[in-house]
Amino acid sequence: MMPDPIHPPARAKSIARRLIAVLAAAACLAVVPAIAADPGGASLTVTFHGLSSGKGAVMVSLAADPAGFEGKAAPASQARIVVAGDTASATFTGLAPGAYAIRAFHDLVGDGKLKTNPFGIPTEPFAFSNNARGVMGPPSWPQAAFAIKAGANTQSINLD
Amino acid sequence: MNRRALLTSFAGVAVAGILTPELAQAVGQWSQAAASGIDWRLAFADLDADVAPAPMRLIAGRPPADLAGSLFRNGPGKFRRAGGSVDHWFDGDGLMRAFRIADGKARLAARFIDTPKRRADQAANAVVTQGFGTADRPGATASSSDDANAANISVMPVGGELWALWEAGSPTAIDPTDLSTKGMRTLRPDLAHMPFLAHPRAEPDGDIWSLGVAGRQAIVWRLGRDGALKSADVIALPRASYVHDFTATPRHLILILQPWIEGPSGDTYADRFSWRPADGTIILVLDKNDLSTRRVFEVPALFAFHYGAAWEEPDGTLRFDACASDNPDFATLGAREVLKGVFTPRASATLRLVSLSPGGAARIEPVGVVAEFPRADSRLAGSPRRYSVHATSDGGTPLFHGLATYDWKGARSDAFDFGPTHLMEEAVFVPRPGGAAELDGWLLAPSVNLTAKATELHVFDARRVAAGPLATWRADVALPVSLHGAFVSA
Repeated sequence: MMPDPIHPPARAKSIARRLIAVLAAAACLAVVPAIAADPGGASLTVTFHGLSSGKGAVMVSLAADPAGFEGKAAPASQARIVVAGDTASATFTGLAPGAYAIRAFHDLVGDGKLKTNPFGIPTEPFAFSNNARGVMGPPSWPQAAFAIKAGANTQSINLD
Repeated sequence: MNRRALLTSFAGVAVAGILTPELAQAVGQWSQAAASGIDWRLAFADLDADVAPAPMRLIAGRPPADLAGSLFRNGPGKFRRAGGSVDHWFDGDGLMRAFRIADGKARLAARFIDTPKRRADQAANAVVTQGFGTADRPGATASSSDDANAANISVMPVGGELWALWEAGSPTAIDPTDLSTKGMRTLRPDLAHMPFLAHPRAEPDGDIWSLGVAGRQAIVWRLGRDGALKSADVIALPRASYVHDFTATPRHLILILQPWIEGPSGDTYADRFSWRPADGTIILVLDKNDLSTRRVFEVPALFAFHYGAAWEEPDGTLRFDACASDNPDFATLGAREVLKGVFTPRASATLRLVSLSPGGAARIEPVGVVAEFPRADSRLAGSPRRYSVHATSDGGTPLFHGLATYDWKGARSDAFDFGPTHLMEEAVFVPRPGGAAELDGWLLAPSVNLTAKATELHVFDARRVAAGPLATWRADVALPVSLHGAFVSA
C-alpha cells in the first residue's frame, strides 16, 4: 500500500517538475570543463564518484546564487563530462570567491536530457553539492551551498 | 476499563449518532476482551531482529501427510525507532516470513527486507522516510518512490524468486531459500520507480496482470509467468481514487474507483484523500486486448481494500466479491490507532457480491458477514466459482479472530472462531495433490496467539472450516501480524 515519491500520484508530477527545472539547466549547456573568465580567480575541481555504468556523461551546473540553482536564472557555469570510468571530474576556473551550489545528473544514454518514467519520476541518477538530498525534490540552496575561496577548491559528489 | 468508562469514552461517537447496534455490540465485546486481560498489542509489537529458521511445535491435531511446501507471508514487522516511529500500521518495515512444511513438520523463519527505506531509517535511528500514513521527518532523503518503498504488503512467487510488493514502487526480489534481499526489479529501464500494486492477478497458466496508479493515470502491467515484462501501457482514469486492488476475468480488467479521492495537499499520502460518498463508486471494465475499450458502471459509495477474482456468467454478467466498508475510517484512523495501543470499535468490512450486467446495470448484494482478506481457490481465478475464503470477526479486538468460507450457491458461511485470544491472519488455499474440485485442499493461516504469546500456523480442511484446525503448530516467537501470503508447493 502508498507515494510522495512514495505515492507517485499527483505530487509526483510537481516533484518531477521541480527536479527537472533544477536539473534541466545542467543539460542546456555545452561542453567540457568550464573555462576561465578571470585567470586570477579561484578554481573548483568537482569529482563525481560511483559511476557504476562507466558510460554516458555527467551534466553539471554550477550556480552562484539561489536563482541559478533553482533553474530560474542562468548558472555561473556548466560542464558536460564524458564518463569513462567510475569517477569523473572537471575543473572550473576563474571563479569569484563566494557561495556556490552544484546540481548534476548522470546522462546515461547521452541524449543530454534527464530521463523520467511516465509518471515523471527521474530514472537517471542525480545529485547535488554537499551530497545534499531533498525529499521528493531538490534540496534547498542552504543545503547545497558551499564556499569557494581564493585558490583551489574541491567538491566530491556521489552520483549513482 | 469498565463498561461505564468505555461508553463515556465513546460519548463523542454516540453524539455523532453513529452508535449502531453493530457498534454497540462491538463495544460490548471490546469491554469483555479488555476485562479478560487480553493484550492484542502483541500483534503490533516490533520485531527487532531476523528470526533464524526453527522448528515449530505441533500442539494439536494431525497434519495432512501430503501437505508439503512453503507458505511465504509479508507484512510490516518494525514500526518504532528511538528518534521517531511510523504513525500507520502499513508503514512498518517489510518482514518476509517462511513457514516450511514437510513430513508433518513445520519450521518458521523471518527476515527483514533490505530496502533503501529501512537502511535510511536505521542510519537515522528514526523513521525519517515518509510512508502511506507517516510524514517525512528531518533527515529524510527519499528522492523517488523506491526510496520510500517498504516492500511490506504482499509476496508473489515468480520466476524462481519471491517479489515483495508494496504499492507505489517497484517489486523487491527475495531469495526464497534464505529470504535474503536480491534487490528491486526494474521491469524496463524507462519504467524505473513506477508503481506496482501489491495485488497482481495471475491467470491460471497464463499471464500476470498488475496496475500502478498515480492520480488520474494508471500503468497496466502484463507479465509472463516468469516475471518478464510483456507490455506496459499508461491509461487515463476518470478520477484520482485510492486503488489498492483490482480484479480481472480472462478477458477483462475491472478497476473499482471508490470515492476516496486524492487532493493536492495533506500531511501524508493518506491525508491527501477525502471521502466523498455522494460521488459514488465508478467501475471501469477494460478489455485486456484493447485497453482503449472500456465500459463504465456506477454503484453507490463503498470503500474496499480487497476484491476477489472476477468471473463472467454465460449471459455476460461480470461478478466479483468485495470486502467493503461504508467509509475509509480503518485506513485513516484505525490503522494508526492500533500502533498506539488504541482500539476503537468501528463497523467492519463485510462481504458483498458485485454484479455488472451487459446492459449496464450494476448491483451490490450484501451478505452480512464480516470479511477481509478475500481469497479463493486460485485454480479457478477468472472462472465461475462457488466459494470465497476470508478472515472474519465478531468484534472485541482489532482485525480478525476467525476464518470462514462463503458458499455463494448455498448462501452459507462455514466459519471457525478462535475468539479474541487470537488475531487471525489471511488464509491461503492449498490444493490437495491429485484433487481438482473447488476447495479440495487446505486453508493455511497463521494467527498470533495472544495468551501463549506466540505465532501459530493452522491447517484447516477447506471444506470443513467449522470443524476447526486439522493441525496447529506453535512457534517460540510471536511475529507481528502479517498481511498477505502465497504458497509454493514442494
